[in-house]
Amino acid sequence: MQPCGTFYETYGQDTAVIRTRLQWIIFCASLVVLLTVPLYGGYYLVSLINKIAISVVAVLGLQIVMGYCGQISFGQVAFMAVGAYASSILTLDLGWPFWIAMPAAGLTAGIIGIIGGAPALRIKGFYLALATIAVYFIITWLVMHLKITGTTNGLHPPFPSIGTFVFDTDEKLFYIIVPVMLMMTYFAKNLTRSRVGRAFVAIRDNDLAAKVMGVNLFYYKLLAFFIACFYAGIAGSLSAHYYTAVNVEQFPLTESVYFVGMLIVGGLGRITGVFFGVIFIRLLDELVIFGARPIAELFPFIGLAPAASLSVSAFGLILMLFLIFLPRGLAHRWEIFKASYRLYPFAY
Amino acid sequence: MDYFLNLCISGLLTGGLYALVALSIVLVYKATEVVSLAQGQLLAFGALFFWVAYIGLGLPIWLSFLIALALGALLGFLVERLCLRPLIGQPLFSSFLMTFALFMFMDGIFQLILSGQARGYRDFLPTGSWEMAQVNISIGDLVSFIICLVVFGIMLLIFQYTKMGLGMRATAESHELAQSVGIRVRRVFSLVWVISAVLCVVGGVTVARVMNIHYPLPWIAIKGLVVALVGGLDSIPGALLGGLILGLVENLAAGYLDPLVGGGVREVAAYIMLLIILLIKPYGLSGQVRIERV
Repeated sequence: MQPCGTFYETYGQDTAVIRTRLQWIIFCASLVVLLTVPLYGGYYLVSLINKIAISVVAVLGLQIVMGYCGQISFGQVAFMAVGAYASSILTLDLGWPFWIAMPAAGLTAGIIGIIGGAPALRIKGFYLALATIAVYFIITWLVMHLKITGTTNGLHPPFPSIGTFVFDTDEKLFYIIVPVMLMMTYFAKNLTRSRVGRAFVAIRDNDLAAKVMGVNLFYYKLLAFFIACFYAGIAGSLSAHYYTAVNVEQFPLTESVYFVGMLIVGGLGRITGVFFGVIFIRLLDELVIFGARPIAELFPFIGLAPAASLSVSAFGLILMLFLIFLPRGLAHRWEIFKASYRLYPFAY
Repeated sequence: MDYFLNLCISGLLTGGLYALVALSIVLVYKATEVVSLAQGQLLAFGALFFWVAYIGLGLPIWLSFLIALALGALLGFLVERLCLRPLIGQPLFSSFLMTFALFMFMDGIFQLILSGQARGYRDFLPTGSWEMAQVNISIGDLVSFIICLVVFGIMLLIFQYTKMGLGMRATAESHELAQSVGIRVRRVFSLVWVISAVLCVVGGVTVARVMNIHYPLPWIAIKGLVVALVGGLDSIPGALLGGLILGLVENLAAGYLDPLVGGGVREVAAYIMLLIILLIKPYGLSGQVRIERV
């Protein structure tokens, strides 16, 4: 919804993502602010943004398969692991540069994702959710038992580099991770507005009805899984070269639950929801870890280490509250807020 | 041959425990159409309540078991009342995720209480083993298996032959129709959760007897879900069948494949089996096949 006095004269204007001059100004300004964070932000802020951006890429993929296509997946973390290991193996054993290894890792994860998503053709709902959990366990088991993935020791991929310039600090890596995240966001946003995105939404709303209308379920369901796992693979590759260590313990099943929780908090079926959800949950985590210290001092019998388990509890509690009171997530609230300030002082 | 028989027997005995966890999930699904992971936490907390009463406070075994049952039932009641009732009318997916959220919430508290230490029971069941034609059967495992079977039988009888069970089956069929013939659907929901929580306490105590109360304990709910799906989400005999099959498959796979691939097959056997069975029979071995309409 746009304020009074905004007129669209061409089809291009009517379908644009950024429509008014003010929106362009806000967009460019926020882009500048975001990309110059390493210049004025401290180490803490930069590394936090890096971690958030990696999660955003993974959750964007989940949003496509779950929020748009309606196929519940708890396997996203497993495909992140596939991407991370693929990228490490390609750079370490084959000596490929990071810049080729990252898309290749995405493709590998995507192709394995098609196999992992194949049960979606026969089953749906809870059955599919549990099938993806099964896929998660099988993948992590393989990772732990194959020689090529270094079994339980993990791998140590190098930092990305161009020529002799090595991206070895958080500030330098920021300029890889954040642009990749922006590109992936751009792609996701446009994908969901295309023919493919509409097919996904049709499948989400009712897959039999979609089939009757001529949507090829076989193709689109597998495509959704491919895209989601491609995103996960990219995220995994980024995290592998960010930490320069890959270990199966970095990819616990609870992380998948976190991703799904981020989607719920942010709002299913909206790209902006991904950002709201990821930032909200990550900041909550940081807050609880800060808060755990005074709590541990107040009640010394708890001890500091288990106090971190409070963050799991806090996440569960927030997710429960959102499911009961805000089932459409923060993105929906944001839409309502935008509509109200654009129409102010009128009610509609 | 003896090796095979030994594996089979111990697999079946573990299968009984899985079946009990699956039963508590199936019961809730049958009446409320909610697939619940939270059962894992109810189970862990049940085991913890029993530990506190039996080891912590040193109460006699029957009293501490009753206390654990009562507290577990209360917990189940609260879960239904506070978390799942507000979601009536929302998509089923929300309540499914709610149980995940609940799982995480209770998991944090569970870890906090454990503080990284495992708690074990003194073995309260008769120890020793019983040998018959070169097959070793641990008597403690056998007793807990029989307890599981008895609980199973009781649940089946309640469901089939009492008025309460009839009400539950009617609710499972259709909430609206059940309400229109005078069944208090909400009360059925509460009741089902309480019964399920009680089953979880029994399951928790028997599982923790072998496994200790430790941080992976709640995750047995995933195995329970696997069993429930393999047997069919809406079938009580299916839960028993699935549990026994899972126990057998896990033990046989571990016994025969571990030497070939270098260990750890037990952890994935369940999931590979689940994928295969879901691909062949999407509604489980004895689940009711539903015909979908647009």
